Amino acid sequence: MLSTLASAADPTPMAAPKPLIEVQDLKVHFFTRDGVVRAVDGVDYGVNPGETLGIVGESGSGKTVSSLAMLRLVPPPARTVGGRILFEGEDLLTRTPKQMAALRGRRIAMIFQNPATSLNPIYSIGAQLSEILVWHEKASRRQAEERVAELLNLVGITDPLTRLRQFPHELSGGMKQRVGIARALLCNPALVLADEPTTALDVTIQAQILELLADLQARFHMSMVLVTHDMGVVARMANRITVMYAGRVCETADAATIFSAPQHPYTRALLESMPRIDQSYSRGARQKLPTIAGRPPNLLNPPAGCRFHDRCPEAIADCRRILPVETAIAPGHTVSCIRRGSPGIAA
Amino acid sequence: MGTARYIARRLIFSACLILGVSVILFAMINAIGNPIEILLAERPGMTDEVIESVSRYYGLDGSVTDRYFTWLWAILRFDFGTSIIYNQPVSEMLVTYGLETLKIQIPAILIALVVSVLISVMAATRQYSRLDFGVIAGAMLGHSLPGFFIGILLILVFSYWLGILPSYGAYSTRNMLMNSTLIDGLWHMVLPVGMLVFFNTATLTLLMRSSLVEVLRQDFITAARASGLPERRVVFGHALRNAFIPVLTYLGILFGVMLGTAPVTETVFTWPGLGALYIMAIQQLDYPLIMGETMIITFMLVGATLLTDIAYVAIDPRIRLA
Repeated sequence: MLSTLASAADPTPMAAPKPLIEVQDLKVHFFTRDGVVRAVDGVDYGVNPGETLGIVGESGSGKTVSSLAMLRLVPPPARTVGGRILFEGEDLLTRTPKQMAALRGRRIAMIFQNPATSLNPIYSIGAQLSEILVWHEKASRRQAEERVAELLNLVGITDPLTRLRQFPHELSGGMKQRVGIARALLCNPALVLADEPTTALDVTIQAQILELLADLQARFHMSMVLVTHDMGVVARMANRITVMYAGRVCETADAATIFSAPQHPYTRALLESMPRIDQSYSRGARQKLPTIAGRPPNLLNPPAGCRFHDRCPEAIADCRRILPVETAIAPGHTVSCIRRGSPGIAA
Repeated sequence: MGTARYIARRLIFSACLILGVSVILFAMINAIGNPIEILLAERPGMTDEVIESVSRYYGLDGSVTDRYFTWLWAILRFDFGTSIIYNQPVSEMLVTYGLETLKIQIPAILIALVVSVLISVMAATRQYSRLDFGVIAGAMLGHSLPGFFIGILLILVFSYWLGILPSYGAYSTRNMLMNSTLIDGLWHMVLPVGMLVFFNTATLTLLMRSSLVEVLRQDFITAARASGLPERRVVFGHALRNAFIPVLTYLGILFGVMLGTAPVTETVFTWPGLGALYIMAIQQLDYPLIMGETMIITFMLVGATLLTDIAYVAIDPRIRLA
């Protein structure tokens, strides 16, 4: 009886899971002396519980700024000027600063790009990590330190009790990034924003850190947003991938689809410009590494129509005029390109 | 262990510095000429025996090196000889006048420190706001105006026009305010301390604000915010302590600047301190007093530098490796 009621109340058992966080039409603009820079200009993406969303794009595509916007920490002169960020169904942009601070570090945590600069140089590891626990969970200093030591152990730091007393300058880069990861996981967050977590590290350490992140994510059932410009990293880590260009989303799909059947011309160009291990690009080789001609547009004055049109091999006249709107071309696969059938807004 | 060795090294370095200053000072004083000749120029017709006995009385009969070591040994026992003009032990004078100087300098630096921290935090957390620009402009102005100008302005307003604060001296000569030496002393301190606070605050604010702006841009500040720490903790706990490191360097220098400008400060307010005494000693060529003053000021400066060096270790864990 009960089971039939339950299934009746849930008419679409196959429906997509409800996203943990959903960014809708997010706009973050920098108000500079020269004018308004539209760094993030109408971006949509969502992260489901337990999944990793990779956000890929080149420098200045708005990937870092949009993740800072999720914590409402965009630095001045930037301001979030539009859109909604639904976290567990509630819009973060309408929360009070106090409610927001209570979420940060507790429900949504962040891992920073540069471990050398993201730890406070004058506090010991133990002091700066346990401070967060004391603040959020009203733990005693002692309990907090015990938990910190536990987490340091978990992120692969040997002899955590000694490390607690050490200062950031006494640790190696990889070690510091492990501390950064431990800091993000202190309060068991539902969502971790990892902003290029391996960019500043040696290649050998990169692999270790990625493995650690994947392992911890599975263990704690966290959702993760992994911001990177490294296709190799997302290929390895992400369930779904969002490709950004010049403050807009080009394409979102599950990782396999992005690599096997990319639709947006920018995604295709990005993948083609990845060096392949089975190909020689040395001088005199038959094939040169393909690149995307031109430069990303100046977002102070973005081009009309599609932002990618002047570098796009498939551009037609309409691309200069019509701003494409992201649309689903298959379940879970959205593209914003009028050549792929996306609707658009005429300029 | 490392800290103890660091401090020991700084101490040895400080001692060498003071020794070096003593050599230079003694050489320079000698270069001015024989004080006996200057004394005799005013009293012509002295016999050789008198000259000799006067030389012996002042210890001026040996070779330069002998005299240096005699003097060095004496000052190590805090004996600076007797002032020629005042006919008092120089050491006693240095203590009396030195305390008067510190009485206005130390409160001025401490008050300026607190005030400039508060102003800098307000300005730096609102970078490029009207308040921030106002603070920068005000601090620039205060930093550029000569101290004595502010001092004279203060005297003009509070002593001359309003008539509520004394314009000179450290104590009233006749009726103490409320019949209390303490209250009367504090009452006399207001204007000179006020002038020093004004100047110090301006300089420290310029430095602290820019240092704080720099630190507030750092990743670890964003990281602290992203960890959900309240803004108060982020600014005062994480940013300010880091921003304070360059300011600390300057505090030692500032103390030196304050001692260097003490003659001006103390002349404006007729304050019975080391600065005013120094001017008189130089004008009257009071050798023991000049030498004693120079040594005590060196001592204070080296002491202040030593203190800042030690404070560094307390505030910045990275120093310990150096």
